[in-house]
Amino acid sequence: MKRYWLALCLCGLMGAQAACAAQRVVSLGGSVTEIIYELGQGGRLVADDESSVYPEAATRLPRVGYYRTVPLEGVVAMRPDLVLASRNAGPPKTLERLRGLGVELVSVSDSPSIDSLYERIGQISGQLGVGQMGDALIQRIRGEVASAQALPATQRRALVPINRSGPFLGAGGGTAADAVLALAGLKNALAEQKGYKQVSAEGLVTLAPDMIIVSSASVKASGGMDKILAQAGVASTPAAREGRVVALDDLLILGVGPRVGQAIRSLKEAAR
Amino acid sequence: MNTMVGTRKFAPRPVLVTLAIALILAGLAASSSGAVSIPWSNLPRLLWGQAAPGDAMLQNILVDIRLPRVLFSVVAGAALAASGVTMQALFRNPLAEPGLVGISSGAAAGAVLAIVMTMGGFFVVASMAFAGSLLATYLAYVVGSRYRGVAGLLLAGIAINTIASSVIGVLTYLADDAQLRDLTFWILGSLAGADWSTLAWIGPWTLLLLAYLLVQWRVLNALLLGEREAAHLGFDLAAVRRRLIAVTALIVGPMVAVTGGIGFVGLVVPHVVRMVLGAHHRYLLPASMVAGALLLTLADLASRLVVSPAELPIGLVTSLVGGPFFFWLLMRGRTAAR
Amino acid sequence: MESATDMFSAFDIRVSRGRRPVLGGATLQVRPGEVVALLGANGAGKSTLLSVLAGELRGEAAVHGKRGVMLNGCDLAKLDVAAQARSRTVLPQKPSLAFDLDVTEVVAMGAYPFPGLSQDDIDILSRRVLDKADISHLAARRYLELSGGEQQRVQFARVMLQILAERQADPRGRYMLLDEPTASLDPQHQQLLLGVVRELALTGRIGVVLVIHDVNLAALWSDRIALLSDGVVVACDTPENVLTPESLRRVYGVAVHVMAHPRQPGKPLVVFG
Repeated sequence: MKRYWLALCLCGLMGAQAACAAQRVVSLGGSVTEIIYELGQGGRLVADDESSVYPEAATRLPRVGYYRTVPLEGVVAMRPDLVLASRNAGPPKTLERLRGLGVELVSVSDSPSIDSLYERIGQISGQLGVGQMGDALIQRIRGEVASAQALPATQRRALVPINRSGPFLGAGGGTAADAVLALAGLKNALAEQKGYKQVSAEGLVTLAPDMIIVSSASVKASGGMDKILAQAGVASTPAAREGRVVALDDLLILGVGPRVGQAIRSLKEAAR
Repeated sequence: MNTMVGTRKFAPRPVLVTLAIALILAGLAASSSGAVSIPWSNLPRLLWGQAAPGDAMLQNILVDIRLPRVLFSVVAGAALAASGVTMQALFRNPLAEPGLVGISSGAAAGAVLAIVMTMGGFFVVASMAFAGSLLATYLAYVVGSRYRGVAGLLLAGIAINTIASSVIGVLTYLADDAQLRDLTFWILGSLAGADWSTLAWIGPWTLLLLAYLLVQWRVLNALLLGEREAAHLGFDLAAVRRRLIAVTALIVGPMVAVTGGIGFVGLVVPHVVRMVLGAHHRYLLPASMVAGALLLTLADLASRLVVSPAELPIGLVTSLVGGPFFFWLLMRGRTAAR
Repeated sequence: MESATDMFSAFDIRVSRGRRPVLGGATLQVRPGEVVALLGANGAGKSTLLSVLAGELRGEAAVHGKRGVMLNGCDLAKLDVAAQARSRTVLPQKPSLAFDLDVTEVVAMGAYPFPGLSQDDIDILSRRVLDKADISHLAARRYLELSGGEQQRVQFARVMLQILAERQADPRGRYMLLDEPTASLDPQHQQLLLGVVRELALTGRIGVVLVIHDVNLAALWSDRIALLSDGVVVACDTPENVLTPESLRRVYGVAVHVMAHPRQPGKPLVVFG
């Protein structure tokens, strides 16, 4: 009984009555889902999308498909009170039709930068009626990032290759990996390149990175770190010779998420 | 290709009626099944607007999402099958389909260009896909008609397809991750664009063109005898070729622009119908249209059920089912004694 | 209106394939009611001349004088394809069909140049031509299941249907071009087919140009024989007048002996070698 009154008061205080009523939330985009969980609101999610791979609980929810090609009926069938969609979700026509059918759909910022991360947290927490928790989270992340950035930085030329199936793709400018490297005071050897492109063995040698960061999924896909080190292109780089080829969890290096502070810290350590 | 001689032929009228009934049933099934299940008994009530209070969402789903989609798959299936029949008669080859003259690859090239080079967006992609398909077909026709018969058209089509593929290849290389994903999904095909406003123009347009094709059955029959014989029966071959290619491009072009690549329907449906009814176009055309509509409606149903609430791209379903089914058919048929 | 001048004629036709001249001024005339056989060695230009008559090939234009093909007084080059199909049919040498149609469906296609024909009329005509071609018993069969000779007769029936359609309504001369129609037929059906052709010519007022290899069949069944040699018609007259040892040696390059046909009075029998 007391809890009921407390909740009512809180709702009144926040003035976000609609948001409070949003008990059935659908999230479209991995970066959106992980923040919802980080804010402790994962219990309100009824469905997410294929790219929502963190945390593990998110993978157990019904999936409506890939966030860039969302099926209309699938989302409506979830009877959502609120759909939180990454700005990159689509197709735009489907999102329009969703709105047209009376579904409350909110697009949140989703660019590979730390400012976008803060904006995203703010937008999501606001929509879910937990603005205070959102602010707290932002403060916490700011603190982590600040202290991580305060650590001594060693300027290294770094390269982030990912291996899905076959040849390595290198992360160029404009990617989340590029943003994380910059935050850690590292120089992206592929800064001129836009997006993810194939990088050949010769290319690796020419680029001569002092540091190579591989995502853990790529390590697995290549069959272990020794296999990666043994590759012709990798073996001839300064990074390999000086022992600076490290693995980092996918979500830490391939996205700017709530754990970005941790990512920066790990990178700086490895750079020393 | 005499590979199908051993199979039995049925009378056309019963087959047509059976197909039509099957199509209606499939339509009902597709309307009632999906991420949300709507029992058949509720369909009339929801359609005719005597909705109970809790029905708002169901009505939404049925009327705004499912119905246009089911109707669209009927029209698209009929269109793809009919254009397959036409191409097969034109090229006198049961393996022919609209892709031969560059319609599909031109559309894909146009769509990819839109996705990679511009901001994308449904209208831009669809328009450029349509433009691409028309341009490719036009080029294939203009170059191909410098040579006698359809051989020239075939070769020009190969050339155009190769060019379109390389354009797609280059653009794929230039694309970033997100664009690549969009590209892939476009190529795999989807009926997500099937809303009432799209249906409002593509429906009548396609149906008109299909009606036109239906009355071309004599020409199509004559083409089976060979181009020389068709000319001796009084048909102006150059004009016929031009007309048939144009009609096919105008039917398939807009369709592919809206749905992306949906394969196999144009190839497998006419083949199967021919096995049952023979090659006489008076029956082959309408039967293929109904069978194509049936196939695509069922494929759409499957695409919405198999990984619900997610959806499979429909081109994927038609290939996954069409390929092995076709293979099985070929294994069953006996080869001609000759 | 039927006119005594109804005729299908080719004047001074010249056709080259690349640099090689195939027809160097061939002239031929056919009147309704007569059967003209076209004889000649391989490469003499028979099929080419037939193609020109069939409207598939066009000879070189005239520099001065008359040149070209006239059908019932009209220049063939100016006649549209549909009109041509109503006055002239063509049976090609190797008609092919790779798709699954019934015999009746193939035969019924002969009616396509005549969209005004009712289904009943087509059925009546079909029965008639099926009978004439001696394939009535094959009517319900599938074309692809038949032997080569039977398929040839089905195509012949189709061509007959085309030439006979709306014949009452159209009194002008009609013409039939047959390219080796007896090639895959057994002797019985060879005689049968040529007999039908002859009968059609006479009763239907149809002019027939018959490309045939067998000199003796030509002698028996044609009113006139045109001998083609090196792209020119060197002789065109009754079989007795045309089939002489000299002309045959010139055309075929072999020695022949011509004698009176033992069973057909007035017809020659050519013996080669």
